[in-house]
Formats: sequence, C-alpha cells, structure tokens
Amino acid sequence: MSFAKQFVTRLRRRLGIDILREAYRYAEDARFGKISASRVADRWVKTTCGYCSVGCGMEVGVKDGKAVAVRGNENHPVNRGKLCPKGLSEHHTLTAPGRAQQPLLRKQGKLVPVSWDEALDTMVREFSSIQSKYGKQSLGVIGTGQLVTEEFYTLGKLVQLGFGTSNFDGNTTLCMASAVSGYKLSFGSDGPPGSYADMESADVVLLIGANIAENHPILCQRLERNRHRTLIVVDPRVTKTAMMAEIHLPVKPRSDIALINGIAHVLIRDGLIDREYIAAHTSGFAEFADYVSTFHPQHVAQVTGLSEETILNTARAYGNAKAAFIGWTMGVNHSTQGAVTVAAINNLALITGNIGRTGASPFSITGQCNAMGTRESGFTSSLPGYRKFELPADREELARIWKIDVDRIPAARGLAYPDIIEGAVAGKIKAMWIIATNPVVSFPNYEVLEQALTNVEFLVVQDGFHPTPTSEFAHLVLPAAIWGEKEGTYTNSERRIGKVNAVVSPPGGARTDFDIFLDIADRLCVRGELYPGWKTSQDAFLEWQQVSKGRMCDYSQFTWQQIEDEGGVQWGGERLYQDGIFPNFDGRARLHCVPCEPFAEQPDDEFPIVLNTGRTVEHWHTRTKTGQVDLLNTMVPHAWLEMNPADAHRLQLTAHDKVTVTSRRNRIPNLELRITGIVAPGQVFMPFHFSEHNSNLVTLGAFDPISREPNFKQCAVRVERTIFTVFEHVAKNTRTASRDAVAE
Amino acid sequence: MALPLHERALSQDADALVRLTTEASDPGRDSIYDLVAASKVLEWPPTSAPGLIPNRALEEGEQYRFHFNMTKCIGCRSCEIACNEQNGNPADIHWRRFGEIEGGAWPNTQRSYLSMGCNHCLDAECVKGCPVEAYIKDPATGIVLHSADACIGCQYCVWNCPYSVPQFNPERGVVGKCDMCHGRLEDGLEPACVNACPESAIEIEIVTIADWRKDYAAAESPGMPAAGHTISTTRITLPEAGAMQLERVDLGHIQPEPAHLSLVFMTTLMQAVSGALIFELLDNCMSAINLLAMLGIASMALGVSAMHLGRPAYAWRALKMWRRSWISREVLLYTLFWAGLVALTGLSIIASLPASRLHSFVDTLPAVRFLSLSANLQVIGWAAAILGVGGTVCSAYIYLVPARPAWNMIHTPLDFLLTTALLGSLLASVIQVAAGWVTSLACAHAICSPRPSFNTPIYLVLLSAALWFLNQVVRRFRLSLSRLFERRASASLLGTESLQAILFSSFALVALTALFTWARLDVVACFTAMIAVLLTRYLFFVSVVPLNMALTFVRGGRH
Repeated sequence: MSFAKQFVTRLRRRLGIDILREAYRYAEDARFGKISASRVADRWVKTTCGYCSVGCGMEVGVKDGKAVAVRGNENHPVNRGKLCPKGLSEHHTLTAPGRAQQPLLRKQGKLVPVSWDEALDTMVREFSSIQSKYGKQSLGVIGTGQLVTEEFYTLGKLVQLGFGTSNFDGNTTLCMASAVSGYKLSFGSDGPPGSYADMESADVVLLIGANIAENHPILCQRLERNRHRTLIVVDPRVTKTAMMAEIHLPVKPRSDIALINGIAHVLIRDGLIDREYIAAHTSGFAEFADYVSTFHPQHVAQVTGLSEETILNTARAYGNAKAAFIGWTMGVNHSTQGAVTVAAINNLALITGNIGRTGASPFSITGQCNAMGTRESGFTSSLPGYRKFELPADREELARIWKIDVDRIPAARGLAYPDIIEGAVAGKIKAMWIIATNPVVSFPNYEVLEQALTNVEFLVVQDGFHPTPTSEFAHLVLPAAIWGEKEGTYTNSERRIGKVNAVVSPPGGARTDFDIFLDIADRLCVRGELYPGWKTSQDAFLEWQQVSKGRMCDYSQFTWQQIEDEGGVQWGGERLYQDGIFPNFDGRARLHCVPCEPFAEQPDDEFPIVLNTGRTVEHWHTRTKTGQVDLLNTMVPHAWLEMNPADAHRLQLTAHDKVTVTSRRNRIPNLELRITGIVAPGQVFMPFHFSEHNSNLVTLGAFDPISREPNFKQCAVRVERTIFTVFEHVAKNTRTASRDAVAE
Repeated sequence: MALPLHERALSQDADALVRLTTEASDPGRDSIYDLVAASKVLEWPPTSAPGLIPNRALEEGEQYRFHFNMTKCIGCRSCEIACNEQNGNPADIHWRRFGEIEGGAWPNTQRSYLSMGCNHCLDAECVKGCPVEAYIKDPATGIVLHSADACIGCQYCVWNCPYSVPQFNPERGVVGKCDMCHGRLEDGLEPACVNACPESAIEIEIVTIADWRKDYAAAESPGMPAAGHTISTTRITLPEAGAMQLERVDLGHIQPEPAHLSLVFMTTLMQAVSGALIFELLDNCMSAINLLAMLGIASMALGVSAMHLGRPAYAWRALKMWRRSWISREVLLYTLFWAGLVALTGLSIIASLPASRLHSFVDTLPAVRFLSLSANLQVIGWAAAILGVGGTVCSAYIYLVPARPAWNMIHTPLDFLLTTALLGSLLASVIQVAAGWVTSLACAHAICSPRPSFNTPIYLVLLSAALWFLNQVVRRFRLSLSRLFERRASASLLGTESLQAILFSSFALVALTALFTWARLDVVACFTAMIAVLLTRYLFFVSVVPLNMALTFVRGGRH
C-alpha cells in the first residue's frame, strides 16, 4: 500500500502535477510579515548570537519545538536588527546532520556508543589513574570561548580544584591572548576600555590588522553611521575593510610596530600630544620619547613600505583628532610580538589622551562569542574576576568566598595552550580534555599537534559535533549542547553581557556542558564542596556575581532578567578609565618601549613568499558549524590561494590552477589559485577555515613569549602547480578552457 | 585581457557604461589631507535617514525598482541569505546573487560588489518568451511576477534572461525568481534583502517608466550585461573612482551548461522526419508503411521532448502563447505536422485498402474517400511538410536569444535546416529500404502494395553533408574569433579535451557518411549521420555560455 502510494507520489512529482505547493507556500508571520510558511514561528525566543564577539541580539523563531528562523533584534543596542549571513542562518546549526548525539568510547580501536554513566566513569577513572601515576599536572585541559560564562566558571573550578591541575587554557590563546597581555602591560589589567559607540563618535578610526567587513560585518554599520569619521585601515592586503577606508596603509607584513612608533615620533615631535594627561596618568614618558625618537619617518617609511608623507599625514590625522579610536584584531594578535604591539597601540592612545573619553579608546575587537566571558570568569591565565595568581590577597579572597583552603589555589599560572601541546609531545602531559574547540584545524604546525594528540594516553573531546577532525583522535567523545540549547551569558567585545537562552533541547543524548561538568564533579566527589546546591547554570551565575563583586568586571549589579530586558549590560559602564586611574599600584598607565623586530620566518630563496592567513565572511572558525549549513557552505565550499599577478606571471601560473603551498613543515596541495591585486607581490593569502585545505599544515609553531599566542600570520612558503593524478585530469581541462577564454 | 566591459566600451557609448555618479561622491573620502591641515571636521549634509521603500503610492506611468548602492555595499552577503530564508529556497538556488568585481594593481586595487535579484526590466525577455504566460509584468507595480502554477518548467526564460535571473528548481519542476517580495511591499514592508542589509545599500524606489526608457544609463555597471537589451530598471550607484577598471573575477569559472538530452533527440529526430517527408514527396513514394514509420519517429520525438519539461503533464499548455512565444509556435507547428502525418497515414492506409473492405464505411464518408485520392494525399503531404519545416524554423528561433551569444548566430537556423536536408534524405532512403524488407516479408498483404523504389540523388546527400560540415566549421571559427567573451568562452569549452574529442568524432562521422553514401550504403550512412548530428547537438547545448552578472571567484552549487 505504502509502496503504491509512494509510487503515485513520485509519479505526480515527475509529471509536475505536484509542485510542492505546500512546502513553498508563503504565510503571514504575526511579527515579521509575509515569509515562506516554513519560517513562520509559533514563538520567538530572545538570545545573543553564538558566532563572533560582536554580540548581536537576535530572536529565534520556534515552531513545534524546532528552530525555524532567526531575526535580528531591532531593539538591541549592538546590531539594531541586523545580522551577518552566519547569524541569519544560525538556526540551521541546531538541525545540522553532524551533531554529536551519544557518548562514544574507543574500544578495540573503534569509537562505539556507550551510556553517559560508562562514559563519565571511564573518563574519571582514566584521568585519575593517569594523574596518580604521573602527577596531577599530567592532565591538560583546553577549553574554548564558545561556552556560556556560567559554564566556563564552573569548568575552571572543576579543573583547578577538582582535578587539581593548573595546565588549563582556552582556545582564546589562539585568538585574544595578546590583547589581554597588552592591556595588562599598559593598564595593569585586562579589559577593553571602549565601546562600539565610540566608533560612531570618533573623528579618526584607525583599524590595525582588522578586517571587520569580513569578520565582524555588523560593526561596519556603526562606522557608517559616523558621518564625520576618517577611517584609516592598516593591512597588507586590500581587504573588504580597506575598501571602506579613506586611507588604506598597505604596510609590509609585521611592520605595524614601526608605523605605530613612527606615529608616536611625529606626534611628540610636532607637539600633537596631551602633556597634561601624560603627566597625570602615565609613567615612563621620558624613556618612551627617547626611544621613539629614532623612529623618524624616513626610517619608518623604509620598514613599512609607506611613503613618508603618508606616515606624516596619518600621524597628524590621529594627533589632530578630537577623539581617536584604534581598533585591532588578529593582524596584531596573531604574532610573536602581539602583546607588545598592543602595548605600542596603547602608547599612542595614552600620549594623546585618547582613552576614557567618548570616541577615544584603544579597543580590541574580540573573536569568539564569549572569549570575554572566559577571560573574566576563567581560571586559566588569571584567577576569576581578573585576579592574579601571584597576589596572595587575591588567592585568599577567593579561598574565603569558596570556603576552601587557600593552598589549593595555585600561585602561578599553569601551562598555556601551546605549552600543553608541547608538554604532550614531550610526554609530560599524559591525558587531555578538549572542550568545544578543533585544534586539528586551528592550531599551527599540524604535525606537532598530531604527535601530541596521539601521544597522550587518554584524550577526551567534548563537542557539539562529531566527527570533527579533532574528535576523530579521541578515546572518548562527549556530545554537548550548543548555542540555542542552553542558558547563560556571553560577554561581547565591548564588555556587554548578553543573555543566551535555550531555544530547543539538545539532540539525542547530548547534554549541556554545565550538566556534564557537574556530573563529573559528582564522580570526583567534589560537587558538594565546589558547587553546593547547584542545579542550573543560574546557580553558577549567582556565585560568579559574588566572585566578581567589587572587581573591574563586576557582574553583581544586574540579574539575568535585567541583562535580557536591557539588550545586554556593559560591565564598567560605557568606557573604562574615565578618571584616568589605572589598576597599576600607582594608578598610572605604563608607556612601553616596543622594538620592531622582523617576523620570525623571513622569506629566502627556497621559500620566497610570505603566507598570510585569515577568514571569509561566509564561514566561522574551523567550519564545524558553517560547513554544515548548506546555504553558507555552497557559497564558499573550498579554500583558495590569493596571489599577486606579478608573482603568478613569474611562476607561470594562471587563475584556477591547482597549486601546492609548501613550507619547511608541510604542504597543502590542490588549492585553487586566485590571481588578484588584493595581495601584494611576494605575499599570498589563504583562509584557514577548511580542514580539507588546512593552512595550519604549513604555519609556523612560533609563539608570543608573553601571551603565548601563535604567529599565524606570517610564514615562508613556496607555491608550485600541483602535480595532477589521472583522475583529476578531466576536471582540469574544463578549467583550462575557461582560462583560455579569459586569456583570448 | 579583453573583457566584456571593454568590448562594450568599444562597441557602445562609453558614457553610458561608466557613470561617475555625483551622489556617490563622499566629501570625506578624498579630503583627509584637508582634514589634517585644517584639523576640523568636514560638514556633511544632514542625514534624513530616508525610508528604504517608497512612502507614497505609485502613480500612472511609474513602477518600483531596486536601487543598489555599490559605494555602500561591504560584501557581507546578508542579503543573499535573507532572500533564501524569505523564500525557503534550497541552498543552491539563490534568487539574490552576489558578485565581485575588481581592478587596478596593488596597493591601488579597487574592489566592489554586486548584489542583484531580478531587475524587473521594462522589456523583459522572460515575459515575452514564456509559452504559458507564467510571467506578467504587474501593471500596478511593474514587478515581473512569475506563477509557479502556470509554469510548465520549459526553462525558456532561463535562456532568455541576460542576467540569468530565473532559476529552475528541479525539486518542484518549475522556475522561480525574485518578485521583489511583492507580498511584503503590499503590506508596506521592505523586501527581505532590503531589510537585511546592514549598510542600507539596497532600497526600493519609484521610477517613471517613460523617462527611464529614454535614459537608463544608471542601470549600467561593470560586471553587468548591457542594460539596453531588456532595459533593466535596477539603478546602480557606482563608486566615483576606478569604476572603469573594475572587471569580473569569475570569468575563469565557466562550467558546461545542462545537455538537455531530450531536446538533443527531439530536435534531431523532428528535423530528420520533416526532411524525410519532403524527400518522399519529391520522389512520390509515400506509402502507408513509410508514413507509419515516420509517424512513429515523430511521435517518439515529441513524447521525448515533453520529458524536457519540469511538468510534462502540462505540456499542452505550451500552445497558449503562439502569438509571441517561439516555443509555442514550435510546439504548435510540430503538433500540426504530427497531426498531418496522422491524417496522411490514416488516409493512405484507407487508400491502399481493397475496395471491398470497409466499403460501406468509406461510402458513408465521401470526404474521406475524396481525400484518399492520390493527388489529394500529395497536397496534404506537402502541407504537412511545410508545417514540419516551419516547426524547425520556429525551433531555430528559440535559440536565437541574445542572452546566449553562441546560439544567437545564423549558424543555428542553418544547422537545423541542413540537418533537415542531410538526415531527411538519408532517412527517407532508409525508410524505403526498410519498407521494402517489410513488404517482401509480408507481400501477401494488401497494405504492402509495392511502390517504385526510392533513390535519393547522391549529389544531394553529399551536398547537404558538405554544407552541414562547413556550417559547423565556420561556426567553430567564428566563436573563437568573436569579440564577445561568451562566444569565445563557448569556443574554449569546445576546445577542452573531452568536448573536442566529441566534435572531431562528429566530423569524422560526417566524412564516413559521405563515403557510405557514395557506396550507396544508405542505412549505414544514415546511422553515422544521425550520430554525428546528435553529438554536435549535444555540444550545442553544453557549450553555450550565457550572459550573466558577475559572480564570485569561489562558489559551489549551480548559481
């Protein structure tokens, strides 16, 4: 019967009698007007976007327990109803086919489904036995900026006090660690001083290594709303953001410190500095002025490749601005000199008094949705609430709040992310727990990472998706809930705490990270002590409010409900340091003398080209999410390599050729070549999102000595045409045709 | 590197091609150094924050249109996603599409983006070509609306639109396209793309149709086909500087088009049958069995052609717009041709029956008896043949669309007519031979009353083959040497290893056809000629490169 029915249905479809009218029908959404009936919701749930750190307010439409649509929240102060393509299609991540749905344990080399009890019992047993054999510190934990703050706070206590290892860090070290370190160097504490609103009121906006049009597109409207601004973009590539700028400064890679010092030089020389501010609120000016006196425009022009006139004009534009804003992202952070570059940027703001005022701020534009929350509540590079490991008073205060022995709180930071990886290679780290991150694609120099992942005796990967390139290495996979399936808060780049709500239930047997952590604590017999009476993530928030009370990142002033109702609340108000008092012991900010050193791996005869990596607007990080949203993945299904026409001519390569990028470490074959004036001669660029074309096969495993952030942005490579196999031959012919047509 | 923009700049009024719009001029953009010197902020016109849709009703002679402000677009592609979410379309069907254009040399590189839905043209080719009137240009709003219910999925609009706007949805069997979210506009709401754009780069405006017809220069843009062909109503604000040097970045991304195998067979067989009928008439050798064979082939061809449609059940609707659509005309004439064949076959069967049989039946229908007279059969035969050739001419006109430059050449009708001659002559011969066999097997039967054996003059076949071959070769060269990018791109596709092998095989088969014809091996000759034509017809479909807007360098799916 059903077979006959099926046949009739198929016949009707084939003959065109049935054209799926119902599926393609339009209907009236009570709130948003006519739209495809498939997107009409029963109810709308307010939440905050789970991709980047812009922190857009959105509403997710739910119908019959399924998320069917997403809308920008028009009343939200951050995005005023607008969303980027990833946000607009975010509901599709919840129904993605690749969601992890049940715990998987490796038995006889194969990952097989097991119960949660077996999974967590095994995890605790394995970790405990490894720790008792090799010491507590033999467990390394790598977290993320993807969890809600409440979960990250819970995890910090679990790892440091429950498992008793301080070798705990987040993927934020691949991302914002340099900004954190730079802020600490200059101001004595982490905390981005400004707000997005400053982008609207500044008369000069200087973006350094920040391609916001591609990576934070919703911030662009804030800039566009500023009718007075002069936008200056410092980037070696002609990015989409550079195209928005009044002035684009196409500097040589890693010459930004010279540029910044050169600007400082001109400002001091021409008296475009705020002497009062310097005298009242900074220290180290004399040495600083002396240091940058050598960065005269002629020298800076040589280092940066810019003209002297451009440097002078940029300096004067910045110096003459009533309010000047400096924003930066990964072009600055992803470097062995990232932390000090941030300090150099802060120098500029400090000597001109461009901080703590409307429109005036140095400002790191963060990466992940909750990188900020992890920085504040985390227990990784600092103690929760921006407390310092090395300060006994900070440790004692926490011990008092937590009602534990102060000796249990470590007095020094454990290993940072890259050092955990190296520790695993060296055999010091014997077990690893990776939560909501995908290092196989995101960590530099893949081969070392692979050694680390295969070296450890027990690897647990906790993720919303499986398989991911990383979960395939796991001994145990824990399926977790993702954005849209759990409740808590995210904090965005401008310190705005946003409420995140559960829209639907996690698929299959997946559980929230919070529940998983508490369950593990139970098995470690620390739940009652560390999480007394906790049931939901709100209990974590309530304790976090106490822990952060009186600190710079003070969450004690507002409840979850207030946060939701007000479209997010900024801790510290609209901007920090309005009084010019900085959290150093003398209340002054530090001016640092920052040398400009060439990047680590310079091009040579064998590897003559500099590889730069970055992103594209359609994808997020390592594509575990956006790779599963067909709409986005169809737009950009694979990686490419950008090369200047001059280099392509020299190498006798043509557009759409398949090329291989080779560095001292490894090679990436079969990249589609794009010949374009976007990149400078001598440089190539590729996006890092794609595990199929993993840029981190060739990137350099060099790390900032202060922040431990990897130097993703520059490494020396050579580019050659990929040698084709017979099977690829036919496909290549079609491309040759296209190319010939263009060439003729 | 010659690009379409340059070609158009050479062949057309360059002023219309690259406009330096005054409104795009942005006092702050070039004046940083003034700012530096004066240390003061420049005065901007006060922002009125205008609505993004018109705030008044349309008046007589006006219509809605899109305005795309290229100077505001940051290339985020939110509009594209919002469009798909609005319309619930599959991932690879984008009614709003996004493209990149760039020019200049680093570091003075210029990058701009195009975001386009439908241009709701004044002279929309999709409307004109549609055989079922699925398209209307809404008299109230000027929006080009498409009805999925009326559509039969023939995809002629896909071929006709110079912007490749209509897209066939195989899941539904019908085409779809941007309708400016007219349902939302009716409710006073902005279209999804307009709503989603964070930079307010897309808006809906009112345009006075008569004025726009006179001056539509503001519709021209690098990366867009010339607006004059259909008079696109989309107004595009171009960047002040560097617009001239902007070029498409997707030109290397040329993919073969769908082969439309049902059309490959239909066109070839219909041309063969209509040709064969002519040769049989010329040779005066129409017999019932010959006609039955031809009717069989024609019926099969028409049946197969219906399978080209997304909705074969509604193929009959294609007759509707015979006043303006070449598809309707083709369907009409081929249907009449087929009906003529049916009549001819029926009458010649009756004519060949012995008088005793069905005597009373024929007596009761004197008209049938009259028509069955040999002379009258000739008249009907010629009428049918003319309808057949007429159908083939209409069929050729279908492909003479400016949006598909490699089709839009004299070689297309020439090919169809020469195929009619070549295959017709050979097929007539083969049918005759086959009929001879059948007759000899069943000669007792009255139907098989012998006719004089048929003999196509060899020179006629050889001449058709030579001309057919010549036409193909000249076409191939003209494509290569064309000034139009799309034609050269077709030539390049034909030059790829696999397609070139097919092309050369078909040429070789035609040469063999000549040889076999010489040797009077007509059956083999007909077979090789048929294969040769089918192969080139296949190439005809896959190697056409349509006009399109600039798209992105890397992309998947079909858009």
